[in-house]
Amino acid sequence: MNLKTILSSKILKIFAIFAVLSVQVMAMKESAIETQMKSKIDKTTNLLQNKELSFNDKTNQIFETFDTVFDYASMSRIALGKKWKKLTLEQKNNFRKAFTSKLKQSYMDKLNLYTDEKVSIEKIEKIKKNRIKLYTKLIGQEEAYNIIYKFHKSKTTDNWLIYDVEMIGVSIMKTYRNQFKEYLASNSFDNLLVKLKTKTKQ
Amino acid sequence: MKKIIIFIFFTVALFGATNSTNSADASTEQTITIENQENGLEDEFSDDDTLSDIYDPLGSYNRVMTDVNDFFYINILNPVATGYSDTVDISIRKGISNVFNNLFFPIRFVNNVLQLKFANAAEETGRFLINSTIGVLGIFDPAKQQFELEAHKEDFGQTLGFYGVGAGPHIVLPLIGPSNLRDTISLVPDTILNPTTTSFPNSSLTTTEGILIYTVYSINKASLHLGEYENIKEDAIDLYPFIRDLYEQKRISEIKE
Repeated sequence: MNLKTILSSKILKIFAIFAVLSVQVMAMKESAIETQMKSKIDKTTNLLQNKELSFNDKTNQIFETFDTVFDYASMSRIALGKKWKKLTLEQKNNFRKAFTSKLKQSYMDKLNLYTDEKVSIEKIEKIKKNRIKLYTKLIGQEEAYNIIYKFHKSKTTDNWLIYDVEMIGVSIMKTYRNQFKEYLASNSFDNLLVKLKTKTKQ
Repeated sequence: MKKIIIFIFFTVALFGATNSTNSADASTEQTITIENQENGLEDEFSDDDTLSDIYDPLGSYNRVMTDVNDFFYINILNPVATGYSDTVDISIRKGISNVFNNLFFPIRFVNNVLQLKFANAAEETGRFLINSTIGVLGIFDPAKQQFELEAHKEDFGQTLGFYGVGAGPHIVLPLIGPSNLRDTISLVPDTILNPTTTSFPNSSLTTTEGILIYTVYSINKASLHLGEYENIKEDAIDLYPFIRDLYEQKRISEIKE
């Protein structure tokens, strides 16, 4: 490894740490999870019901509301499982970028389905000293769906971030993790990146 | 009947899923994510790695049937349900859905009882009585709106799961979609408990009527869930294992409830 690559990987690391920290600064304290999530969810449903805004404006504002509470870095790592530590720093960063936009794209597509459903917060449960589950319910046309937001507490700060969302018993992270594992068993990491990017562009 | 149930238990027990356990690889990460490791986030998911090593002897058949079902849904069911939803008002479609769900009461009642969920079985009974009368043959749902009685969906697959019967190999059924051996066998008792089928005791329905009713049910249901399948499909890298995983995760969670 020459000096230039060492230097650039250091810079990347510092930049990444900075990015992670700056997100956490704006994240939530334990006591505020329920109230803040409620206001975020209410804001989202209000935005979605707003007929004057374009879909793009709506999604941009929704992402602004939720971006600070999603731990995209941890989610990227969880999604790749054991494969993660075999990657170079550059690959990790590329994956994180691609996977984050994939998650956002998928979320945006789901918002497209929204009609007049209501979301209610059911309960909040602290399962461990650094884990909290927030149970919500989406009242759909025919039935209600349980949506659980899973928070973990960062070791360095006291902030809580979402690392997984569970819908009707299906964990988003588990599903991506299983998919990536199966795909990588017969395809290369670079293929996965390409696949993620092309899927996102649609 | 008793013999059939014993046979079912026996067959399912034979195929009961025996998941091999993957020992979690515990090496550390020297980058910024070191914090997550300490936080135990990784461990929380590592035991799920067994899920993709899922026992799948019917894999190649399932893959083909997934594509067949996908073709059927996209090219036939979805266009029909879209046209139907454009012509029939949402309130009528919800009413039809309510009528069906009210008629499925015996399935939910029996399976709640079999799982010793007596309070839920009682609540279901209350719902059935109120909705069949005040709710005009189940068209409306006053049990929920006025009496705050909730439905408790349980089927025979969940009952078997409740008693520890494993899912067995995944099976994609024609038209019906993802299932597994346990849930496929469970369709038999649940169909017998379903008044809208010819298998229901003393049913006066002819086969044609049975098929017609099921067709109406399917189109009506699809019309209330338009766009969802296509949307979820976008999250798939490879459709078959993705749907299989969603189905099995959902079932595990339903059985736990």
